[in-house]
Amino acid sequence: MGGTELLQFVLAGLKNGSIYALVALGFTLIYAATGVINFAQGEFYMLGGMLSVWAYADLGLPLPLAGLVGVAATAAVGGVFELGAIRQRKDGDPLALIVITVGGSMVLSSMARHLFGPNERPLPLFSGGGSVSVFGAVLEVQTIWILGLTALAVVGLWYLYNRTGLGRAMRACAVNRDAARIVGIDTRLMVTVSFLLAAALGALAGLAVTPLTQTAFDVGPTVGIKGFAAAILGGLGNPIAAVVGGLVLGMLESVSIAFISSTYKDAIALIVLLAVLFMRPQGILGRSSREKV
Amino acid sequence: MRRVMLGVLLTGALFAMSLGGCAGEPDEGGEAAGDTYRIGAVLSLSGPQAGLGEPERRAIEMEVERINEKGGVHGRPVEVLFEDDATDEAKAVTAASRLIEQEGVIALIAASGTGQTMAVRQEVERAGIPQMSLAGGSVVTAQFSEWVFQTPWPNRIVVPFTLGYLRDSGVTRLGLLIDSGAYGKDGYDVIMAEVDRFGIEIVADEQFNRGDTDMTPQITKIRAAGPDALLMWAAGAEAATVLKNNAALGGDSPLSVYGGPGNGRIELIQGAGDAAEGFTFSAGKILVPEAYGVGSDEYEVTTSFIDRFTERFGVGPDIFAGHAYDGIYLIVDAMKRLPEGFTPEDLRDEIERTDGFIGAGGTFTFGPTDHNGLSEDDLTMYRIENGEWVLVGQAR
Amino acid sequence: MGERTIDIRTVAVLALVGALVFAVPLLTADRYLLKVLTFVGINVIIITGMALLFGYAGQVSLGHAAFYGIGAYTSAYVVTSLGWPWLGGVALAVAVTSVGGLLLALPSLRLKGHYLAMATLGFGEIMRVVFVEARGITGGPDGFSGIPFASVGGLAIDSAGANYWLIWGVAAAMLALAANLVRSRAGRAMRALHGSELGALACGIDLTGLKVRVFVISAALAGLAGALYAHVVGFISPSTFSLHASVVLVAMAVLGGTRSLAGPVLAAALLTLIPFADAVIPGLSRSALETIQEWQEDIYGLTIIAVLLFVPGGVAGALRRLSRVGRRWG
Repeated sequence: MGGTELLQFVLAGLKNGSIYALVALGFTLIYAATGVINFAQGEFYMLGGMLSVWAYADLGLPLPLAGLVGVAATAAVGGVFELGAIRQRKDGDPLALIVITVGGSMVLSSMARHLFGPNERPLPLFSGGGSVSVFGAVLEVQTIWILGLTALAVVGLWYLYNRTGLGRAMRACAVNRDAARIVGIDTRLMVTVSFLLAAALGALAGLAVTPLTQTAFDVGPTVGIKGFAAAILGGLGNPIAAVVGGLVLGMLESVSIAFISSTYKDAIALIVLLAVLFMRPQGILGRSSREKV
Repeated sequence: MRRVMLGVLLTGALFAMSLGGCAGEPDEGGEAAGDTYRIGAVLSLSGPQAGLGEPERRAIEMEVERINEKGGVHGRPVEVLFEDDATDEAKAVTAASRLIEQEGVIALIAASGTGQTMAVRQEVERAGIPQMSLAGGSVVTAQFSEWVFQTPWPNRIVVPFTLGYLRDSGVTRLGLLIDSGAYGKDGYDVIMAEVDRFGIEIVADEQFNRGDTDMTPQITKIRAAGPDALLMWAAGAEAATVLKNNAALGGDSPLSVYGGPGNGRIELIQGAGDAAEGFTFSAGKILVPEAYGVGSDEYEVTTSFIDRFTERFGVGPDIFAGHAYDGIYLIVDAMKRLPEGFTPEDLRDEIERTDGFIGAGGTFTFGPTDHNGLSEDDLTMYRIENGEWVLVGQAR
Repeated sequence: MGERTIDIRTVAVLALVGALVFAVPLLTADRYLLKVLTFVGINVIIITGMALLFGYAGQVSLGHAAFYGIGAYTSAYVVTSLGWPWLGGVALAVAVTSVGGLLLALPSLRLKGHYLAMATLGFGEIMRVVFVEARGITGGPDGFSGIPFASVGGLAIDSAGANYWLIWGVAAAMLALAANLVRSRAGRAMRALHGSELGALACGIDLTGLKVRVFVISAALAGLAGALYAHVVGFISPSTFSLHASVVLVAMAVLGGTRSLAGPVLAAALLTLIPFADAVIPGLSRSALETIQEWQEDIYGLTIIAVLLFVPGGVAGALRRLSRVGRRWG
């Protein structure tokens, strides 16, 4: 196998990995705020693509605006879901909340089928087809968009967490909710904000990928599992770890195809994940001192 | 302990309720069905295969109305009762038993998918009513049951036809890319069993899963093996991603890609856009009825169906709607040939005697060992040019 | 809580309901209803294990559909392809899933909370790949068909009524065993485990051993249910044993509530029956049925959310409140 092909596998791993990373970031944000794994995270990915397609094809909006509408509308759905369902469970029992998100994911994907039909729907490439050559390997322009948007999201999150009052409040909640409440932080609001942001991140991933894959009402769970695996692999609750977990997972799959078999790529990636967990029960970058649940 | 008692009591109440539910209804056997002929249809109207079940239901509803406007069968209307299996085998089984037990149907159209079709079989065989499957898996008729018929072109017919075209196009080294679902796996088996006969060597075979977002690693690996062409055997949205990835990787020299009936969907053209240009695949003639020859009986039947469907639903029928059209007419046609008062067993025998029935998917001639009834003559090759299906006819 | 002995009234009620449940095939010949209720019984067997695992031991598994599948394929293969007797197939299914549960539990139960959930999810997804790819045994995505009905000696259990009795007989036996288990010393230890691991540890309870044992029991029950399912339906394929099925099982257990068997059993019955509303609601019209089918995923999801939001403590909590009301009247 030549160097060019090897580089091609690396690029594919980065591309899938950054999609997983965006979804994993959503898991991690909500986990940090609530201690809950959000099973509807994959549906936010689906809605991001689907609502953008709706805005573009059915409302006739120009593509950049349609994408914005798709992400914003999905964020709104995330917020409404938090206010209408998550917040109503007063005792905050994590397992009950997780199962509520399971119910939410069923309703969201089913609603998407009622509204947008059972078939896949397309979205145009952001800046046309075409690709650039990187040392002989091919990089699709849309992949550059995916990588760029992921990087942008990570930088944006970093800025939010480290340079804004809101972000500091969210971090305070993640470390100790009771203490945060005592110093006057509206912890409930922080949960809502984390759902808004997580939905937006999932939607961004869905929006960026749909021009390559199309979207349909049932694409959520598959990507949701990958994002969950990435978040766990990196270590829950830490945004950097989520990104690392996503990229590692994408690479694992790509390398499995290159050197072993495309048939078993998912199984190989999961076996590695299990092996990592059994050796480091808190994920690659997780800290064991912050066990929740 | 009181809790246990209460739980037990509530369970009991639930059972009592369900018993009340069925006590109220008389056991409707065949004769209690009254004046209508009842046919059951178990389709995937939700779940992953909802994209198949929906056009199938539309086609059946539309055609049943038409049959009844023309006086039904023996002056009695035909009624089709639909059940949604939600793309789930256990639900398909209960739906079938409901239609058979409670509604007394005389035939069953089931199901959209291969798994649900196989799951229903036991119910159908025990009840002794004919089953018309709309699923394309070879196993449906290869694992033969005297009660089960199949309307789509199975892979054991399509694959040799496609490989013949590839051989005639001068392909000797072939890369293979399949999806890991039933359709891809079934195709894979037939392809591997047949390639030698056509002097074709499989130089690389890779697969992807439903929901995968990127197939560049698989295509990179296939390209490294130096094939003349890429054969993709996959149904579903991922086919468009394969075409796009292949176009991007190829640059000036993309691999030519070939496929099968699973790719005869308008969504593929919409999804892959420019990358779909030049994609060549085999399918029945319903996509471009001119393939039957303008003015032929087959042409008239198919265009009439396409026109009525398009007028009513605003979109043209896809191949799945065509399979459903064939399914309902194969049953109704046999019913018309029988004298009044026939039994489901008579109906099975009569469907098996179908000879030269012209449908949307081809001309069906069933026999005691052939419950699919189609041949390579019912297939043709298409190429996508300027976003449309174009007949290819002979190999280049 | 706390009563070690069962009073005479409870025995009477149990006997009455038991008799009612077992009388169903005598009162109706409706095979559709019997089939639906048979599926309820199969889910009751799995949920008994899930209730022990989640409700008493406080562990969450997202991989139990895989054990369900392993049990189904094991029995289907040895009975159909190798000609084993049915009882042998079911026994082997239970043995294989017990060993599988043990092998997964030993390394996994070091993990906590969501990491344990991920490990079991990973196991489930790996098994799904195995079900699809080990086609010589499983038939791959086309599925495994032609599985014979259960039979003991020369007696074939081939009618809907007989299958109903078989499944509910096994379900009743498993529930009785589980009810005994939770009243035993091990059961009290499990409850302590759910309350506080640290507290349980301080009481000198062998935590890991206990968790592993409960996990193995729940895996074996899922395997048993899978083996029974294979012979009832006659056809199995990988899609039945997906992550979605695992998630629904967890939903049933959580909806049921903790420290209860009756709660999860009722929750399983409720969720299993939603898509088959016409079997249990008298006089439902066809158009109403079609509407329910069209919206069943929404109804399913909303039911889950509604129970968790408006019924504190889940179904078990509702039962507790009902029983308190009943006591006031009594």
